[in-house]
Amino acid sequence: MSRKTRRTLGIILAVAALAAGGSQLAFLARYPYFRKYAAQNGISLSEARKAWGHPDKLSEVAMGLAVEAANENWQAVAALAAEDRQAEVGTYYYNLANAMQGQLPDKLMDYYQPFERGLFLPVGSHSTPFIIACAGDVWFELGYMPLAERDAMLGMLFSPAHTGSRYLRRLAETNLVTGDFEAASKYLRILLNSPGDREWAAERFPDAWSPEYRQRIMEKRALLPRIDLVHGMDQAPLILRVMLGSNPSNKMALDYLLCYDLLTKDLDAFVGDFDPSLTRSRLYEEAMLIFLASKGGMTEDNFSHYHISPQTIAQFNRFVTIYKQDGGSGRNLSAEFGKSYWYYFYFAAKNEKN
Amino acid sequence: MRRTDAILCGLSVLALFLLLACGREYDVRPSGTGTDRTSVIFPNYQDVTIPCNIAPLNFYYTDPAGARYATTFTAGSVSFTVKGREVVWKDRNWRRLLEAAAGNDIEVVSAWREGDIPVSFRWKIHVSPDNIDPYLTYRLIEPGFEVWDDLEIIERHLESFETRAISDWRNTGNRCMNCHIHAQGRGDLSMFYLRGEGGGAILNRDGKLRKLTLKDSLMISPTVYGEIHPDGRFGVFSTNIIVPAMHSAGGRRMEVFDTASDLCVADFDANKMLIFPETARKETFETFPVFSADGQSVYYCTAQARQLPAEVELMRYSLVRIPFDAETGTLGGPADTVWSAAAHGGSACHPKASPDGRWLLFTVAAYGTFPINHRECNLFMLDLRTGEPVSLDLVNDDKSDTYHSWSSDSKWFVFASKRGDGMFGKPYFSHIAEDGTVTRPFLLPQKDPHYYDKMLRSFNVPDLGNAPVRFDAREIGRILKEVPAEQFE
Repeated sequence: MSRKTRRTLGIILAVAALAAGGSQLAFLARYPYFRKYAAQNGISLSEARKAWGHPDKLSEVAMGLAVEAANENWQAVAALAAEDRQAEVGTYYYNLANAMQGQLPDKLMDYYQPFERGLFLPVGSHSTPFIIACAGDVWFELGYMPLAERDAMLGMLFSPAHTGSRYLRRLAETNLVTGDFEAASKYLRILLNSPGDREWAAERFPDAWSPEYRQRIMEKRALLPRIDLVHGMDQAPLILRVMLGSNPSNKMALDYLLCYDLLTKDLDAFVGDFDPSLTRSRLYEEAMLIFLASKGGMTEDNFSHYHISPQTIAQFNRFVTIYKQDGGSGRNLSAEFGKSYWYYFYFAAKNEKN
Repeated sequence: MRRTDAILCGLSVLALFLLLACGREYDVRPSGTGTDRTSVIFPNYQDVTIPCNIAPLNFYYTDPAGARYATTFTAGSVSFTVKGREVVWKDRNWRRLLEAAAGNDIEVVSAWREGDIPVSFRWKIHVSPDNIDPYLTYRLIEPGFEVWDDLEIIERHLESFETRAISDWRNTGNRCMNCHIHAQGRGDLSMFYLRGEGGGAILNRDGKLRKLTLKDSLMISPTVYGEIHPDGRFGVFSTNIIVPAMHSAGGRRMEVFDTASDLCVADFDANKMLIFPETARKETFETFPVFSADGQSVYYCTAQARQLPAEVELMRYSLVRIPFDAETGTLGGPADTVWSAAAHGGSACHPKASPDGRWLLFTVAAYGTFPINHRECNLFMLDLRTGEPVSLDLVNDDKSDTYHSWSSDSKWFVFASKRGDGMFGKPYFSHIAEDGTVTRPFLLPQKDPHYYDKMLRSFNVPDLGNAPVRFDAREIGRILKEVPAEQFE
């Protein structure tokens, strides 16, 4: 090989390497959450591409939601979910971020709501690994460790490497909350031997807990149900009622239960679960008006008891008037009432696949 | 800077980096009281009894503050000292030590420094002259709440660290497979299930493999738990409607219960399923059937049907025995109670008779029929010659101990224990002497002493075999794809 050929070959290789590096950098700049989600799953970028294919804008946002929620960065979750893409996982995290800021009922109707699946992601034989990986986040925040642990275990089971800090951290924390340090030890030791998780793990040993972390664990521990009930895998309302039976002040659990009742249009259950002294929202006012109107209960006493404002009553009357005028059609209601519970109750239809 | 200096400097930085990267030891924290590593060494081989054909007992010291470890092993005139936190044997040295110690003890001195303070203690490993069956099969599964991914059934050679898959997800389209069981520890008579479409019970009889659909129209489900008769012609099985559920409190995690269960017999020669009135009643549940060593009886667990899940904590299974006619495959009746749930206030599961007919090993939980998530679940043994219980105080621990099996000579048994972390089952072995003395169990040794630290799967249903099974995962994959399942009627 002549010197000139060698030089040309060298230049070609250098250009190719630069192009490949540039392409990789561009990819990372465009899909930062894809890389972070891969890291949470303990796999490299190339392994992630092999396992999940090439990302697109929608999957990048979905992975961003999962990454930020695992880090409990709710502002970032809210920002990523701000654009309503009519996707279940987007709604799930939108609702969760709102709930973490005490705004679940207030913002519920502002967004696409695929019935109860926007509150609790279904974990079953038809669920994707990604959905399963995300499903436990809400249970962890609600304080229900049995399902938080189960979903972390299942998320890990269906992940490409069958491990990953996303799951191991959650498994460690669920057991720290329940006080099972023997189980937590297993996960903390693995994390301690992973450079990216070493510091996180070391801070979770009980004798290393900061006052803030101790308080976090104690707050979560206070939410644990004290009544043992054997329940099925998909009995969210029953679980929430068991949680509330032990801790009536768990407002997040109460709001999730009430919103579950409302998204499934079960007003009888809603009225049974609703205690106006514990939580208030315009959403609940709207739902109560449908119930009271159907039961002949439109009285001042009821309005006062359920904290229903005169403005809400006036709007409800207007909604009913237009509804009747149009023979039950929603064509003249959507603009003004499209984000009301009344509109959802009368016009939202469950997708067949739901 | 001269060019050579620059190169040297670069090499030094690289060497330092490599030293730091390679020199980092496995961090053994957390350890001590309240963790899953309470003993000074892990696995804790202090005062255990081991067979004289077992693979090297590699272990590590769990004290994160210790340094300059030296461990000296002595048996007769043979002595070895291993330096370092990790005690990893050269196979040749371990064999020499075992040979010298057979029937006696290995004396061990552990010495290290805590800062400037020297620490040492002495302990022993008892070496039984009795060999253990050299093969162990187990399913590796994540504790995943009744779902699975990437399952495999492994056969481990206990005299070394060699393993091979005898069925795996790669060759079976990632399908569910249930655990592999030997009949009386025989490598030439065993079975397991491949679930799902095109699957079936894989029967290994005299090294010949068959795929069987063990179901007829009268059965409430396909067969679930069971065992092969010592003669190989029959199998006895339960059929179960299994419901998974969760506990909301108490750290019990998952609860699995049956809403119905019956027994049946499979005739492998006539391709027939046999059902009998005594063991197919709606008002009673029957499960976990196994043959007695002589094949003249069947042991199983039974309980009265109840309202479930509301009364799940009242479901207590007794252990009973029913005659079996090995000529016709007929289960007789009525059943005799061997261990009464009411009298003992517990629930019996997974009976296993030793191949010599002397012992009956089973598990006892507070209630229910799925003990792996019951911390209180312990092994229980009866001497069938006297009907008296055998003390297993040295065997049981504070977490679930279950899924046991016997070696073909009835001198060793293996079981899966969740001791320690409470989540992951690991295989432990104990020896039983003629007088009923049972020894402290030892954990299956691994080449890497930190193997169990990193392991995120359970060893499910460890089962001893006196010979390797004569098939592998590729063969099972071929049978799944190419061999139609034989129908039973």
